[in-house]
Amino acid sequence: MVLTPARPRRMWGVTDQPSANLYVPMIAIVQEIIDETPDTKTFRLAFEDKEYAKSFEWEPGQFVEVTVFGAGEAPIGFASDPNERSFFEITVVERGKVTRAMHALKKGDKVGIRGPFGNCWPLEDMKGKNVLIVSGGCGLAPLRPAILQILANRKEYGNFLLLYGARTPADRNYKYDLDAWAKRDDMQVLETVDVGDESWKGNVGVVTTLFDKVKVDGENTVALTCGPPIMIKFVTLELLKMGFSADRIVTSQERYMKCGVGKCGHCCINHVYLCTEGPVFTYAQMKELFELKL
Amino acid sequence: MKKDYSILKKSDVPAFFASLANEMQLIGPKQLFSGDVTFDVIQSHKDIYWDYGHVVYPPKRFLLPHFEDMFRYTCDQEIKIEPTCNPQPQAIVGIRSCDVAAIRFQENFFSYPIVDPYYKEHLNNTVLFNLVCNTPPKKECFCICCDSGPWLESGFDVQLTDLGDRFLYEVGSDKGEKATEPRAYMLLPATPADIEARRQIELQADSRFQTVSYVAKAINFISADEVPAKIWEDLGSTCFRCGACTNLCPVCTCFTVDDREESDGTFTRCRSWDSCQYAGFTREASGHNPRPTFGSRVARRFYHKTSYQYIIRDGRHGCVGCGRCITACLTKLGLPDVVKRIRREMHEFLPPKEKAAEV
Ligand SMILES: Cc1cc2nc3c(=O)[nH]c(=O)nc-3n(C[C@H](O)[C@H](O)[C@H](O)COP(=O)(O)OP(=O)(O)OC[C@H]3O[C@@H](n4cnc5c(N)ncnc54)[C@H](O)[C@@H]3O)c2cc1C
Ligand code: SF4
Ligand code: SF4
Ligand code: FES
Repeated sequence: MVLTPARPRRMWGVTDQPSANLYVPMIAIVQEIIDETPDTKTFRLAFEDKEYAKSFEWEPGQFVEVTVFGAGEAPIGFASDPNERSFFEITVVERGKVTRAMHALKKGDKVGIRGPFGNCWPLEDMKGKNVLIVSGGCGLAPLRPAILQILANRKEYGNFLLLYGARTPADRNYKYDLDAWAKRDDMQVLETVDVGDESWKGNVGVVTTLFDKVKVDGENTVALTCGPPIMIKFVTLELLKMGFSADRIVTSQERYMKCGVGKCGHCCINHVYLCTEGPVFTYAQMKELFELKL
Repeated sequence: MKKDYSILKKSDVPAFFASLANEMQLIGPKQLFSGDVTFDVIQSHKDIYWDYGHVVYPPKRFLLPHFEDMFRYTCDQEIKIEPTCNPQPQAIVGIRSCDVAAIRFQENFFSYPIVDPYYKEHLNNTVLFNLVCNTPPKKECFCICCDSGPWLESGFDVQLTDLGDRFLYEVGSDKGEKATEPRAYMLLPATPADIEARRQIELQADSRFQTVSYVAKAINFISADEVPAKIWEDLGSTCFRCGACTNLCPVCTCFTVDDREESDGTFTRCRSWDSCQYAGFTREASGHNPRPTFGSRVARRFYHKTSYQYIIRDGRHGCVGCGRCITACLTKLGLPDVVKRIRREMHEFLPPKEKAAEV
């Protein structure tokens, strides 16, 4: 099997440009704000233009450029169920100027949205295989649409295992989801935290310590990973040891981004523009890009 | 479009460009009080300084401005977005072959696979009057190694060759034809002797270059990631991170985007030149920087300029041999020097057998 994170059906600037100018955002309204962790919030957004909202399609792994008017623009991954067409969600960690302004938004405020951009998780190609998801911190956000999509088509995939690591119990994203998923009998969820507290009964240690606790068939499983670069490195090395071939380890990369359409140059890794040709790559593809050497 | 040659007598040049200036803004080489020559807006055709060797500052900013407003918006009650791109017709006169080649490179980059509306608008409104280099090239010039000069086969709208008291006038595109038509009565038919004179100039021009660049060797080493990190770090250790090399390079396109508050309370989204030689260029919000060292950033610049992978992607290597990065850099990290150093130092890394074959 050769997995290639595919070019999605829709990508602003290639197939689906609503205005003549691909740098001008469309207006969306904040419908709901959910506190995830002390520094992370999830925003539920819906386009002001109802016609446009109807035609807005995206796939798990893609991202948008979000404008907070008066502050600027930042790339943020989709975090909700792709089948839900009346709104979409993004989960944002407060980091700098734009994300700080985003955290100050209230229900009813308007933001600008450009996208969808980038390629997507190869969910189609993965059908019939077992799925292992390894994720750290806010790296669960871009994987959440994939998880929801797999659960929606559960019969088409084999065993489904999610390993998730957070810094502390308070830093767990989507606690409500994790708790609900843990109760399901068609998927297995294992969690760990770097530093525990009195309330934490689970594993303590980095996410790779969970590998000892599970049995994974390295030959018939596809692994999706997203998290900090150092986590991706050690997870990939572990997976290789477990018998995963390089084209069955799939990762979403992050880079500083400005334009989202392959022009500003910031996200370029070797000759590959992450915003249009990524952010999802197999380890086999990463090996070709020596700037991504582990 | 049929290629055709005519003659523009030098005595008709003022009238020709004065007439062109009625239809569009003229950009051309202009001598400053300091004596330096720069590409600037030409108020009167008399200001066109035909007699220059090489302009340190490329005409890049007339197509990709240092700061360019992308749109303006208000965000108090209602959010109103108003695109701002409104370029005026312009002719860049007396542009050199290397810079035309660079513009074609940028055109390709900005239109594939996604079209950048601003660059496209600027270029659609621009006519390029190329001037063949038949003065001795500066010692930094090496367009001859980069297939981008001293004259061009294509890519120009109009190409002029100085034949003494007259220019050989060559139309290279529909845009050039359209800009010529209203003034075609000033052109005379070219004789076979004129065309032969031009051929002689081409032959002479070829033999006058001093700088050579070993790009081909560097392409191999850099594309295969064979240049040891130590060589890059050595090269990077002298870099001042001033960004002059990328700012002056007519091929470089990278930009950043910021929202700026205006005095009237509206906001402007503005893009401005950025440089891969700056530490913040790739630093992510988490603090992680995928190119943390000076060496890794210098490696990045030369990968983009010379790698085989980019040649496949963009159709040519990312250097037109204008030599500006040599002039600009205080520490001589210009392209020819770097590829020469890679070639020399890599030689020491080669196993003895290959070394023998190399010499
Ligand atoms: C494909 C993709 C998907 C993403 N998805 C998500 C997501 O789902 N959720 C999420 O929370 N985040 C996500 N991110 C990360 C997110 O884009 C960044 O956290 C965000 O852009 C930070 O923007 P900011 O304006 O808040 O930070 P900024 O203030 O812009 O800071 C960002 C960086 O800019 C530089 N910088 C800023 N000011 C200066 C200065 N004065 N001097 C030098 N350098 C400076 C620094 O390098 C800093 O690290 C994603 C990123 C990508 C590329
Ligand atoms: S011009 Fe020279 S010193 Fe300045 S950034 Fe470029 S390489 Fe470094
Ligand atoms: S790399 Fe240097 S010589 Fe080549 S086009 Fe750029 S500035 Fe000119
Ligand atoms: S974000 Fe601008 S090139 Fe990718």
